Amino acid sequence: MRKGSIAASLFWLSAGWLIIALLATAFLLTELYSRALDNSLSETLKFHIETLVDRTLATNDPASETIRVGDPRFERPASGWYWVIRDATGQVINFSGSMVGMLLPELTGSYDANNVRTAIESDPFETRMRVVEQAATVNGTRLQVTATGSLDEILELVDEFRGQTLIVLTAVAIMLAIMSTIVARIALRPVGRLGKAIEKVRAGDAENVGGTYPREIAPLAEEVNELLRSNTQIIERARNQVGNLAHGLKTPLAVLRNEASAAKDSALSRVVLSESEKMTQLVTTYLDRARIAARSAVVGKKADATHVMLRLARVMEKLNPDKTIAFVRPDASLPWFRGDEGDLEEMAGNLLDNACKWSGGKIAISMVAERSPSGANLLIKIEDDGPGLTEDEAKAVLRRGVRLDEKTPGSGLGLDIVKELVDVYGGSLQLKRSVLGGLLAELRLPGAKLGLGRGLSALSPQ
Amino acid sequence: MRILVVEDDTNLNRQIKDALTDAGYAVDVAFDGEEGHFLGDTEPYDAVVLDIGLPHKDGLSVLEEWRRAGRTMPVLLLTARDRWSDKVQGIDAGADDYVAKPFHMEEILARLRALVRRAAGHSSNEITAGPVRLDVKAGKVTVDGHAVKLTSHELRLLSYLMHHKGKVISRTELTEHLYDQDFDRDSNTIEVFVGRLRKKLPEEVIQTVRGLGYQILED
Repeated sequence: MRKGSIAASLFWLSAGWLIIALLATAFLLTELYSRALDNSLSETLKFHIETLVDRTLATNDPASETIRVGDPRFERPASGWYWVIRDATGQVINFSGSMVGMLLPELTGSYDANNVRTAIESDPFETRMRVVEQAATVNGTRLQVTATGSLDEILELVDEFRGQTLIVLTAVAIMLAIMSTIVARIALRPVGRLGKAIEKVRAGDAENVGGTYPREIAPLAEEVNELLRSNTQIIERARNQVGNLAHGLKTPLAVLRNEASAAKDSALSRVVLSESEKMTQLVTTYLDRARIAARSAVVGKKADATHVMLRLARVMEKLNPDKTIAFVRPDASLPWFRGDEGDLEEMAGNLLDNACKWSGGKIAISMVAERSPSGANLLIKIEDDGPGLTEDEAKAVLRRGVRLDEKTPGSGLGLDIVKELVDVYGGSLQLKRSVLGGLLAELRLPGAKLGLGRGLSALSPQ
Repeated sequence: MRILVVEDDTNLNRQIKDALTDAGYAVDVAFDGEEGHFLGDTEPYDAVVLDIGLPHKDGLSVLEEWRRAGRTMPVLLLTARDRWSDKVQGIDAGADDYVAKPFHMEEILARLRALVRRAAGHSSNEITAGPVRLDVKAGKVTVDGHAVKLTSHELRLLSYLMHHKGKVISRTELTEHLYDQDFDRDSNTIEVFVGRLRKKLPEEVIQTVRGLGYQILED
């Protein structure tokens, strides 16, 4: 069921994207910065070339010693800052003081509209240089004036800039990552709420998923509700069909059985009698099973046990006017039964019916809440003053694994349906000796959570 | 004792009617809810056997309407739906007892006997009036411990009077409760049966209240 986490995926996705975006930004900024520096260097070199051309014009001799540039770096040997004046054939006519024992390579590219060409070269000392060369005609002589400036200084500045940029951008990335985590948390809060709402339905505290949800997950909540509704409908339909089948089969069975027992002595009637008995058994068994299967899928139901037991006691008193049923009214904090009201009636009704059948006149019903690791349990005690059961008999009656389809006809206590239902709800049934002298049946069932139960009791249909 | 049987399955209806007739009851039958409701509303019955699933009008509605109209005769519900919720619903609609299909006929007879007895205020299967003792279950009458042989009509008459011991019962009431609706009702036959009973039992047991009817005195 579980695979990854939306919050984690969001985090990694946005973190990955941030890293790429910020690295690109850092690269771009550095690139722009280095280009700006390079451009400004080229402009400086062009300015120096203009100075050299001006001087040449002034002296009218390209080879004159007086042709100099003010920048002292051009006088420092091996500085990377050089200038040279060549004639049209490439013969060096004049050069800067920094050019000691070296030659500048000649450029090969074509001139632009201003008769300028540029390139990046290295001098013999491995210093990378921006080289700018201009073709100029001075007093009828064609000259090539070349100036170079060290790029290493610029590269150092760029490196420094890159380092600072990375620090700043890393800080930004961390802040953005934290923000995206917070955003994911906030964005996912409704999902958590939805989970809690569904859990409430499962726990029997709500009939459907309540609350309002954002557009993205509202359809999920609606679908869950729709599913619950259709589930209930299917169960309802299954129950109805089971009921119809029961009615349809039981009347003809009753007719067959009565007809056969009226004419007891023929072979035919004996066969019909025994076979219709088997059919009755099968019908009962499978109807019970179908009912249990239909009901085990019921979620989100709960019932007021006090209400149900009062009603059952009233019915049993009407059916057995010669028996008295003492009903110990529980206090209002008694948990509700987490399950179907009809099922509770079925379990308690059968136990109460047994109590009435066997009692000498006195039956007692009491209910208490019990703490258990899984929450509040509901304990319903039904006792009578009849003969009761010995420990061995009680064990035999309650033996696990005896399913409906193995039951022998006339087993007497009709506890099979009770046992099956108790299993469905994860409860327990114990048979003990009552202080009244007869049987004490202790029915333990899961309780619906307190607190919420009170609030909802007003809403649940009665 | 006159019983109404409302059951739409013709075979089952016949079987119940036969069993009840054999047990000494006068029996009327109806095959749907409307007919059953009409009969129960207009005729005096001592008990009704009512199926829940009926055409035209279901058994529970019929029962509720009777109870709303103040008809208090005991009603035994017959149904295939044997969940407790159905049982509760039936009892709440005003039924006095409940038998799930498929049933044994003895079950119906026993429940009906108990209902009739309870409605008349008797708690045991035996009703006594002076030396006369009526065993409701076995349908036997003894006087001072000696068995008395009665015909089914005589038994019905005695049984009705003993169930309503202490009350004056008119001839009309007796006719209404002892014969089914198809019987040719002639109140003279009542006098004939009373005369025969008086010969078989101590004479003072059944008193004639002039102009009103008959009475078996309380002990």
